[in-house]
Amino acid sequence: MQLEASINRPGEIPVSPAIRANESLHEDLTAKWFLISSISYFFIVGIVALAIAAKFVWPQLLGTIPYLSYGRLRPLHVNGMLFGWLLAADMGLSFYLVPRLCGVKLWSERLGLATVGLWNAIILSAVVSTLMGWNQGLEYAELPLPLDIAVVVAWVMFGINIFGTVATRKYTQMYVSIWYTLGTILWTAFVYLTGNFAVLFATGVNQANLNWMYVHNAVGLIFTPVGLALAYYFIPKSSNSPLHSHKLSMIGFWSLAFVYVWTGAHHMIHGPISQWLQTISIVFSVMLLIPVWAVVYNFFATMRGQWDQMRNNVPLKFLMTGVVFYLLTCFQGPMHSLRSVNAIVSKTDWIPGHAHMAVLGAFSFFAIAGCYYTVPRIFRKTLHSEALANWSYWLFLIGGVGFFVTLWLGGFWQGWQWNNPAIPFIDTVIALQPVWLVRFFSGVLMFGGIVAFAYNILATMIGTERQPSQ
Amino acid sequence: MRDYVYPSVFFAYFYFFLLMVGALFFFVRTCRDGYWGSRSEEAKYRMLVDEEEINLHRGDQDEQK
Repeated sequence: MQLEASINRPGEIPVSPAIRANESLHEDLTAKWFLISSISYFFIVGIVALAIAAKFVWPQLLGTIPYLSYGRLRPLHVNGMLFGWLLAADMGLSFYLVPRLCGVKLWSERLGLATVGLWNAIILSAVVSTLMGWNQGLEYAELPLPLDIAVVVAWVMFGINIFGTVATRKYTQMYVSIWYTLGTILWTAFVYLTGNFAVLFATGVNQANLNWMYVHNAVGLIFTPVGLALAYYFIPKSSNSPLHSHKLSMIGFWSLAFVYVWTGAHHMIHGPISQWLQTISIVFSVMLLIPVWAVVYNFFATMRGQWDQMRNNVPLKFLMTGVVFYLLTCFQGPMHSLRSVNAIVSKTDWIPGHAHMAVLGAFSFFAIAGCYYTVPRIFRKTLHSEALANWSYWLFLIGGVGFFVTLWLGGFWQGWQWNNPAIPFIDTVIALQPVWLVRFFSGVLMFGGIVAFAYNILATMIGTERQPSQ
Repeated sequence: MRDYVYPSVFFAYFYFFLLMVGALFFFVRTCRDGYWGSRSEEAKYRMLVDEEEINLHRGDQDEQK
């Protein structure tokens, strides 16, 4: 209660001497460089995304140049968006929020800057390796072994810095965002090592099973927890409203921790793995509704009486739209893991529609909101343009919804056609051309959102200084 | 060529077991550290208090005086 009261009476909180002298306790160099590089990759890889969406409509595009073939551009797009943009932005935002929640400086800015340097070297090398076709041939695990090892080293550096900061925290109890960030670090270690190293020593069905465990948990145990860490931090901060229930957020965290890892095998339903393993993956997929509802209810309850802020608050628009997409994608997941639904949608365009709603619609929206919130603060600048920020929101939203819905409908249609042995496969490809045309134009809108967002943030970084009263 | 399927699968299970033990340990600790008791909501109020912004407002108030 004392803490609650102190929010309305600023000045009663002990403030460190550095802060008192109008200097920030936090240098934020690592956060700045992670955000600059991640937003740059978002733009560059966005061009690649457009190119491969265009190739669906105009297969002759870019000719027969091997470096620009679909088989090489697609892994570049996937890895570039996942690791170049989203995970790098998540790491940068973690470097911003964890020291603040702990009330101390980042454990080591020097180690953080070394992590940024190594991460950029990995991403640039990944661009070369994927374009050259040096590829392990495993979904989400395409990077060659030396780069996998470099990712592990960079992740250990990131983990040491975050754990070191948390170990020196001022407060015993950790806010839920710290729990999710620490969970991300540990779960990523498990998921990445299994998906990129253990999988190389397995063969056949066991290899496929390990690979899909990795693919699903790359989203579920890497991007989900770190994305929720951001949402749990930025929703209360942006709306200036306390979280509805911290206890409920902890229930969500622990139920995610104990449920998510079992769900990967639902990618192989009706495949050659044991029926009992398929059933386990279905049961745990449905159980995911528990952590999801705990999270989503908490966010909506936090916003009770605050919805009017959505009119002018761009970070909040991205955040709450991301929460809606999170709810939808996490409702879809359990439903299409059911055997009857899976028989139609598995391996169809439905799946990229679903995956894009999770990674772009939910987690990238959280990261974009985080960038809009943090960049003016850490660079001590005013946001370059509120209007442009609104434009970026609407472009992402309209383009995103067009993309997701088109692929769900197209995927369902495709699945029905595939289940009819009288229809030749090539006819199902021809039938989907209008779907892919809409997908391309939706992609153009989303790329417009990326351009508006990236330009706005970079212009903010080099823009005019913020006045003290702002 | 030797078959490494079982060692790799058992490696994954072993690693998973380690994480499971770690998760159980920290889950039990949350009970001790008051995450489920009457003090469980303190963290959500504390996170809203931003030392930097407090100082900024205090600086404004000082200027007005």
